[in-house]
Amino acid sequence: MNKLLFFAHLKDEAGKESITIDAAGKNVAELKAFVAEQHGMTKLDSAMTAINEEFAEDSDIIQEGDTIAFIPPVSGG
Amino acid sequence: MTERYSRQTLFPPIGQAGQEKIGMKHVLMIGAGALGSGNAEVMVRAGVGKLTIVDRDYIEESNLQRQQLYTEEDVYEKLPKAAAAEKRLRAINSNVTIRAVIADATPDLLDELVQDVDLILDSTDNFETRMAINDISQKHHIPWIYGACVGSFGMSLTIIPGKTPCLHCLLKKIPIQGMTCDTGGIIAPAVQMVIAHQAAEALKILVEDWDAVRTTFTSFDLWRNQYTNIKITKAKDEGCLSCGEARTYPFLQNENLMKTTVLCGRDTVQVRPPTKQNLDLSHLSKQMQLLGYPMKGNPYLLSVDMESQRIVIFNDGRALIHGTKDLAQAKAIYNRLLG
Repeated sequence: MNKLLFFAHLKDEAGKESITIDAAGKNVAELKAFVAEQHGMTKLDSAMTAINEEFAEDSDIIQEGDTIAFIPPVSGG
Repeated sequence: MTERYSRQTLFPPIGQAGQEKIGMKHVLMIGAGALGSGNAEVMVRAGVGKLTIVDRDYIEESNLQRQQLYTEEDVYEKLPKAAAAEKRLRAINSNVTIRAVIADATPDLLDELVQDVDLILDSTDNFETRMAINDISQKHHIPWIYGACVGSFGMSLTIIPGKTPCLHCLLKKIPIQGMTCDTGGIIAPAVQMVIAHQAAEALKILVEDWDAVRTTFTSFDLWRNQYTNIKITKAKDEGCLSCGEARTYPFLQNENLMKTTVLCGRDTVQVRPPTKQNLDLSHLSKQMQLLGYPMKGNPYLLSVDMESQRIVIFNDGRALIHGTKDLAQAKAIYNRLLG
C-alpha cells in the first residue's frame, strides 16, 4: 500500500490530509490523474510530487510502500 | 560601528571576515510586500553594502497586518511601497546604500538592474516575475532565493546557477494558481517563517559559506504542524530551457509580455502599457476634475474613484484598477481614462 499526503489547499480539495491506496506500478502522472478523478481534484496536475521525500518526475514509477506527497507551488508574497 | 554588528560577528560562521563580505555585497530584492518588508529589514540590519528594492505597488490598509515596514501614515499618504521601505530602512541603518525602484519588474528592467548584483531575493507575488528572475539568474550567473506563502503554508528554495536545479526544472511550466491570498488569506507567522528561511540562506550566500546552503525544497504549514524537506538534486534537467545546455531563457524572450495581471490578495488588475510612458499627472488630474471624479494624488501617482472602481495611475503609465478581477474590463477602464 502507499500513503498519499496532500499539502496546503490540496488538503482542502481532497477533504483529508492523507489517503492510503495501492499505487504500485503506476507512474506519477498516472497516479495524479487517478487521484484527481477519484477525489474530484482539479489542482493536482500542477503540484510538485515527492516520493519518499525526494522530488519525482511524471514518469517515475511508484513502488510498494512508497510515501507520496503532493505539494502545490504557491505564489503569495 | 564595530559594536553594531558584534552579535553577528560573534556567530562563528559569519565572524569578522563574513561581516566584511556582507558589507561589500549588493542584494536585489524584487517585491516589497510582506516577504519584502521582512527580508529587506534583515538585510539592512545585517549591514549589507547595497540593497536595491523593486516594487510596483503602493501601500493599503490591508497590508498593515503583515507588512512590517509600513505604518498607518504610509496608508494615508498612499506611498509606493518601494519609497516607504527606502525611508524606513534608511532610518534603521544609514550605512547601507538603498535604492528604491518604483516599477514593474519586467525582464528588461531585471536585465538592467542585475549589473554588479550578488544575490536576488524573491519577494514577489506571482510566477510570471519569478520565472523571469529564474532566467535572469541563470543568464547572469547570480544566485536567487524563492520564497512564497499563502494561508499558514509557505515554501522556499535556494537556486545556485551551475550547481542546483532551477525553478523551471522543478515546475516545468507556470503553475495554475489553486489558491491566492484573495481566497486563502495569509497569517503573518507564515510570512515570517518564509523570511527566516530566505534571509538565513541569503546570509550564507553573502558570506560565501556555500557548503551551508540548503539543497532541499522546504515547505511547511504552521497551522497543521507540518515541515517537509524534499531532496531535489536529481531534478536538474539537462534539457531545461532556462538552465540546460540548449538554454533559450524563454521567460525573458516573450515578446508578448502580459499587459494585465490580477494582483494577489486584492480585487485588483494591473494594466501595463507595452512601452513606458511619461505621463503628465497634473494635466490628467485636471481632466478628471472636469469629469467630476473624486481624486487624490502625490508626486508618484493619481488615484481616481469611478463608480465601483478605483483607478490608481502611476507616471510611467501603469495603472491599478481596483474593484475588478476581469482583465478585459480593467483594460477597458484603463483605455477610457488614458486612451
